[in-house]
Amino acid sequence: MTAQGLRNRRTAGRIILYTFLVLFALLQLFPLVWLFNYSLSTSGELFGPELLKPPQSVQWINYAKAWTDGRIPMYLMNSLIIVSISVACSTLFAFFIGYACTRMVWRLRLLVFNVVMIGMIVPIHTTLLPNFVWFKVFGLLNTRIGLTIPYIAFTLSFNTLMFSGMLRGLPRSVEESAWIEGAGLGTMLFEVVAPMVTPAFATVGIMTFLTNWNEFIMANTFLASEKLRTIPFSVIRFEGEYASQYAVQFACMALAALPAIVLYFVFNKWIIAGVTAGAVKG
Amino acid sequence: MGPGPALEDGPGDPLIADMAMRSLFSNKKAIFLLILPGLAVILFSIAAPVILSVYYSLTEWAGFGKLTIVGLQNYRNILLTDRTFWLSLFNALVLMVITIFIQNPIAFILAAILTKVKKLSRFFRTVYFVPAIISVVVITKLWVNIFNPTYGLLNKILKGLGLQTLTAAWLSDPGTALFAVIFIMIWYGFGWALLFYYSGLVTVPKDLEEAGIIDGASPLQLYTRVIIPCILPVIQAVLIIDVISCLKQMEIVYLSTAGAPGDRTQFIANYLYIKAFTYSQYGYGNAISVLFVIVAVLLTVLTRRLTWQSPDVD
Amino acid sequence: MKRKLLRAPLCLAAAAILLPALVWAGGTQEKKPEQILLKMGDNLPDRTGTWGAVVEQINAEFIKEHPNVKIETESYPDQPYQQKMKLYATSGQLPDVFKYWSFSTLLKPLVDAKLVAELNLADFKGLNYLAGALESNMYYGKLWGIPVSGDLWVVYYNKRLFEQAGVSVPEASDQVLAMIPKFEAQGLIPMSTDGKDSWPLCITWDNIIGRLTGDYSVIQAALDRKMKFTDPPFVQAAKILQDMVRARLFQADLVTSDYGAARNLFGQEKAAMYLMGSWELGLVTDQNFPESFRDNLSVFKFPVIKGGKGSRDDLVAWFGGNYVVNANSKYKNLGLQYLKFYASRFPALIWDKQAAVPAQRVQPTPKDTELARSLLQIAADAKLSSGTPSLDRSTPAFKEDEQKFVRDLAALVLSPEQFAKQLDASAETAAKQ
Repeated sequence: MTAQGLRNRRTAGRIILYTFLVLFALLQLFPLVWLFNYSLSTSGELFGPELLKPPQSVQWINYAKAWTDGRIPMYLMNSLIIVSISVACSTLFAFFIGYACTRMVWRLRLLVFNVVMIGMIVPIHTTLLPNFVWFKVFGLLNTRIGLTIPYIAFTLSFNTLMFSGMLRGLPRSVEESAWIEGAGLGTMLFEVVAPMVTPAFATVGIMTFLTNWNEFIMANTFLASEKLRTIPFSVIRFEGEYASQYAVQFACMALAALPAIVLYFVFNKWIIAGVTAGAVKG
Repeated sequence: MGPGPALEDGPGDPLIADMAMRSLFSNKKAIFLLILPGLAVILFSIAAPVILSVYYSLTEWAGFGKLTIVGLQNYRNILLTDRTFWLSLFNALVLMVITIFIQNPIAFILAAILTKVKKLSRFFRTVYFVPAIISVVVITKLWVNIFNPTYGLLNKILKGLGLQTLTAAWLSDPGTALFAVIFIMIWYGFGWALLFYYSGLVTVPKDLEEAGIIDGASPLQLYTRVIIPCILPVIQAVLIIDVISCLKQMEIVYLSTAGAPGDRTQFIANYLYIKAFTYSQYGYGNAISVLFVIVAVLLTVLTRRLTWQSPDVD
Repeated sequence: MKRKLLRAPLCLAAAAILLPALVWAGGTQEKKPEQILLKMGDNLPDRTGTWGAVVEQINAEFIKEHPNVKIETESYPDQPYQQKMKLYATSGQLPDVFKYWSFSTLLKPLVDAKLVAELNLADFKGLNYLAGALESNMYYGKLWGIPVSGDLWVVYYNKRLFEQAGVSVPEASDQVLAMIPKFEAQGLIPMSTDGKDSWPLCITWDNIIGRLTGDYSVIQAALDRKMKFTDPPFVQAAKILQDMVRARLFQADLVTSDYGAARNLFGQEKAAMYLMGSWELGLVTDQNFPESFRDNLSVFKFPVIKGGKGSRDDLVAWFGGNYVVNANSKYKNLGLQYLKFYASRFPALIWDKQAAVPAQRVQPTPKDTELARSLLQIAADAKLSSGTPSLDRSTPAFKEDEQKFVRDLAALVLSPEQFAKQLDASAETAAKQ
């Protein structure tokens, strides 16, 4: 086997490898392409024999309809408010609990941690009716905060897991020197420890965002007024009693997916780093 | 997984020798303040309804109107006579097996490939994650379309290849329905598995790998003897998340087959939902939920035991 | 002198303070009668589509007559809507007026829990309701809701595709089965229907029972436990339904094909026939479908079963959708007024849009499509009417069971005998409640 032969073999191997990777990438991108394609067609074309058919006439009007009849601006605002607050709170609370359970010394440490972990196991549907009755007592029904609270609760468990994993791997020395310099709890948390686990914040943030952005069942249960509804409701506005305007629904879904995709691309590097540390030491 | 042994609590603790400093880290008030917000939220919107749920599971109630307390009757009915319950539990276990032994290895291999690929690695990683970002409604609609026996792509391709006999009504045929639904589920969750495994593989110290190669290890030996043991915590994390999410599968079933044909594709989270809300057997549905939580906890503990790493691996 | 001078500005100042105060106080008294917010609920989230638009128009007209009233409607698709209403029933938060269904699986539990207001039958007698319409909303001899649409079970078909395959409108079941190979030769699905939601199949089963026995009341008899579902007519009807599936009358993925998919198979001319209800008269104006479809759309009556006692004019017809008033509403009287107003305006408006067959008599107009006229004719020809379908005549648990068993029957997972046995067991449980 000559050196050239070896190199040829390796190149061939590379080409096969890259082809495979590209094909797989196309497969993964396909849903997005499909979504976008049919969002520009008429509703009837969705049920045609072709999987992917370029629309006979590009219906940009679907997006206009999604925007106006789908009330997207209003719903988008609500989604942004509710989801952002839930992301901020869930991240922060998870950080606090993670820190308390990994870096602080107290007897009930493990118990509290496990109680928080139970949140991952409970299915949302079990809590719908009891929460509906229970929230009414506190006047939380049909309010933005009434939806934000369960959004925080159901993402808290996983987020705490991520944070505790990353925090565990930190060397004590940094905290020690900070204490010697007279740092109180607040400073310790926000100026010393937090910068060391920034990737965890990014990961937890984006994952909480993704989870809550497309959430429908709790929003459907706890919200009633038109003016409080979130983005997933834009799709149902085009659901007829028997037939729906599928193409416009697709346009709604494409618009809803947009912020999520943008965020994921922007924070991608941090997410990898965050998952790395969180899972490895987790 | 857990708070872990990073902090020792004993007097000979080398990490917190200074008693004064220790006071900061065991300051009761500080600890309380830290855990209060998160714990309050969880107790309020998860623990409280679960407790209420346990109460409801002991009743016969439609969700409104007359409520009768029937004690453990619901549990007895579920465990002894409800075929659908056991079938949906079984389906979740089948999904777990396929996820753990098929989806995870594929994700792992792909992640390993991506660590070796220099160019475009980041591009591929982002693209592979895209399905996980899109709403599950879209993904399910797409695959229902592909599986359609009359005009779906899958049957079209098979016919085109001359494999007419292999075509089927993928989601309606009792023989294939479960696997078609499971396929959608593992395809949807693939992005997350890939992400986790990649992140784990990236942290394997280069010198460890090189030492293995110098010692004459084949690629297979390299992975099984060196790398996998190194990232065992990641694998354990992924497995536990897999187990829990397999049990919680609901949307995909609801949107594709609704459990048909004949409960072949019924999954436990979907089953408890329809029992509670569509059958108006709220007490019964809640009893299923309680059993669900118990099963999930048991499986989580089991998974941890089976993938336990000896403490000296670090 | 000074005092006099002082008095004037003092008086002015006093007036300047008192007058606006008086106006303000008087203004609040003279203000129009309090703004009333009437909360409503329905399953029509699409307000630009036909039915939703009609309701919006009715609401606008109602507000014109009652200027102090504001209407706020919560709309969701069918399933989420039913769940939300059940949640509201639990917490006593039902809307003042809302759309619901007359079935014993849905309305009766609300009646039993005293959540809907009793209506005065006399108020609605003179509004041209079709026979059986108001009766379907009565429990314990009292009226609880007003029906809005009359639903008939029919078979839509595509005339062009029939010509293409060389078949004519079937009158009996054997003719239907003979048509199948002819459609398959053309690469067409003979008949499509929604198998995933199962209720169309349940209604079809009812229809076959009627065609066999000539008498729909056997269904209620079985539910009342005077007969059993394991008796011959029910088992035979199950067998006929299963044979239809085996003969490939329906689309191959029947049990996972949902409403929209089935409708589109027909609308896109992939299926020659569509087994569905009269509410689909809007198919003829649906712009999503090709013109060749809309121009060739027609409807025929459910065929007779060869050897059965039922005729083609024994109609499966029921009055499902209705409107009810919350018994605990602050604005009960206003709600009742709304119902009367709705009843007076709905038939003409919905018929004008050709969106549904109302529960009240309508006059055919010159601009009616042929389809609409045919449907009116089918309703007029009816000699016998089935009333509420079997699945909605009992408890919610029985309904879910029947849907499940019928779907399993169609999926060829259950034999007709097994189906009958399981259904009967479910009926036995339901009867005990």
